[in-house]
Amino acid sequence: MHISLAGVLVAVFIAGMMASTLWWMLHPPTSFVQRLAAQAEHQLERLVGSVIVVFSADIESGHMMALAAKLAHGERSDLFAVYVVEVPFTLPPDATMPDEERAALDSLGAAEAIAMHSGVNIRTDIVKTRNTSQAVLDLAKREKANLIVLGSYREGKYTSAPLGSDIEEIAANAKCDVLIGVEGKHGTLLVDETQAGADASPEKA
Amino acid sequence: MSSNPQLRRAVTPWGSFSWGYSDVGADIFIGLGLVLAYAAGASNFAFLFAGLVYVCIGLAYTELAAAYPVAGGGQYFVLRGLGDLFGFIAGWAVLLDFTIDITLFAWSSVDYMSQLLPAVLASVHPWSHFLVVLGLIGLLCLLNVIGVRESTAFQGSVAAVDVLSETLILCFGFLFAFQPQILIHTMHVSWPSMFGLMQGTSLAIVSFVGLESISQAAQETQRPASVIPRTSVVLILTILIYAVGYSNLALGMQMWHPVHDAHGHAIAFWQLFPGNGDNQGKAVALLSAQIPYYGLLAQFYVPILGAILLLISANSGVFGSSRIAYSMSTSKLLPSVFQRIHARFRTPAASILTFCGLAVVVLIFAALPQLDHGARAVYQRLFHGEDGITFLGDLYAFGAATSYSFVFVALVALRLFDPMTPRKFKIPFNIPMRVRGERVEFPIIAVIGFIGIFSILVFTLITHDIGRVAGPGWLILGVFLYFLYRRNKKLPLFRSQPHDWRTAQTSILKNAGELELMDEYHANLRASDERKRALR
Repeated sequence: MHISLAGVLVAVFIAGMMASTLWWMLHPPTSFVQRLAAQAEHQLERLVGSVIVVFSADIESGHMMALAAKLAHGERSDLFAVYVVEVPFTLPPDATMPDEERAALDSLGAAEAIAMHSGVNIRTDIVKTRNTSQAVLDLAKREKANLIVLGSYREGKYTSAPLGSDIEEIAANAKCDVLIGVEGKHGTLLVDETQAGADASPEKA
Repeated sequence: MSSNPQLRRAVTPWGSFSWGYSDVGADIFIGLGLVLAYAAGASNFAFLFAGLVYVCIGLAYTELAAAYPVAGGGQYFVLRGLGDLFGFIAGWAVLLDFTIDITLFAWSSVDYMSQLLPAVLASVHPWSHFLVVLGLIGLLCLLNVIGVRESTAFQGSVAAVDVLSETLILCFGFLFAFQPQILIHTMHVSWPSMFGLMQGTSLAIVSFVGLESISQAAQETQRPASVIPRTSVVLILTILIYAVGYSNLALGMQMWHPVHDAHGHAIAFWQLFPGNGDNQGKAVALLSAQIPYYGLLAQFYVPILGAILLLISANSGVFGSSRIAYSMSTSKLLPSVFQRIHARFRTPAASILTFCGLAVVVLIFAALPQLDHGARAVYQRLFHGEDGITFLGDLYAFGAATSYSFVFVALVALRLFDPMTPRKFKIPFNIPMRVRGERVEFPIIAVIGFIGIFSILVFTLITHDIGRVAGPGWLILGVFLYFLYRRNKKLPLFRSQPHDWRTAQTSILKNAGELELMDEYHANLRASDERKRALR
């Protein structure tokens, strides 16, 4: 075996050419649509940086918790699930409310299970307050949250504020993004359309 | 949004590269031995010449595939640039190539297997070699009919392993076995005759056939106008480096395990190939085994890798031919039977069976001299004793040179008569001019490429006895059938049917996801229409 200088130079040239051209091929310039997509993904990354999922007696967030866990898993971020117990003015601020606190433990336990299932770190807390929306806004500020995730109100509870006054106040005043999940079953339009379709079909027949 | 099902754009840059590589990357496994057998000390020169022509072909395909990202490839470009008749001839030549591809690559795959399994060595056990090749063609046919194809991930992995392997063989070969003085000496004393050089050069183009596959995958490639130019350019460079690198290494290598002739004289590596069909079919395996140290490993895995890659390439012939036939059938260049989809398997079974059947016929012609002494005598008398693999190589070179020649002419025609289509990649060195009031650019490279590929076509016709008869025979048969079909369907024989290329191009760019190019195309059309109105 005899190693020649020409052979060494050719070998280095071939290795260099192959590596550089393959790298160039695998990094094509991005299109406008791809840049838009990247921008949206980047926004999502910031959005999901720190997520607060809010539960309360009036805010059902179980399904949104599952969505938040999936988002957080994709973006490798942490979750903070908080159950807000609204203490009425007729009671002292630190009054014990066993039913509400029990419900809070159920909701937060479920949240932990969802997070564990999705492989996401989660912190949980129960907050007692006179005003749910203000407590959530304060919490978001303190935690430097990027996103507040909320479920919807319980069916039939509110008539004047379609999403519930607490949810609307949070959405209107929060300094971060707010994701509100309204379950389809609470809507009326779809039900009406289905009903209309059902009514119309016998006539067609 | 269209409600018709569309091909999913799932082919990534690596997928696009590996799609082309699994076709063209396998060529060196066959081409090296064939060229060394005929061009001897000028093999590197033959590869360089064919390689430069191939660069021009590659650039033409790159420009056209990026501008017209549809599945038809070369046949579609010629149809669009030169009309129905020439589109048919180009497509028919590509069909010849894909049919030969099935047989040639299955044949060579068995040759590579024979390095580890001597029971299928063609010269010693011709029947077992023939039957295994036949079995492989049958298997590929069956798998394609029932709709089983190797996954894109498998193809991508094999391509990755092969790129790495071929690069390592070259690097270690040049490091440990290359002697410049041996190269100079071989080129000096073993330079072939003019006839041998022409023969070698025409076979060298075999190492560069397969760019068609990238164009064929264009319809499934993500952002084809941006990705295809890159994958094509890298594929061109990769194959050129391999072809020139391997031929120089083969001519200038010091064998690790010297081989002696009948008189006990040590022979040079390239001398293993003239007159030895067994060795011609597995040149890369023989070369890799002769590299010091690395050969210890390579002698076991390179035959297996080569056999797999060649089989994938043979498979690309099966689905490539059915795709082209489908595309030609939708353009009313072939009967509608080639569009027919099998009710149960949802595959173009008629197409697949037709071209696999033709591949078997070709296999019988190629294998006859080694199976039967009488046939060998006839071949000896008529074709100067060309063996099976050379016969297949001849036809492969003929089909490729014919279709590539038409592609160059189509490129010029499309540049002159369709300047409105945006070209994200444009071949350099153009002459600006005006045609029908539009500013166009005449591609000089296309003319150079045409001269180069046409000369290779002429070399093939001059030097290959079988190619001279079978190649033009295939084209004449095709044109005859084309006229018959068009007359039967009451379609114009020489002229083209009316085509709405503007709508077609908009649809192509929209389906390709190249929305910016679609806007540019529409802006170009508006500007052109306004210019024409102003002139009136």
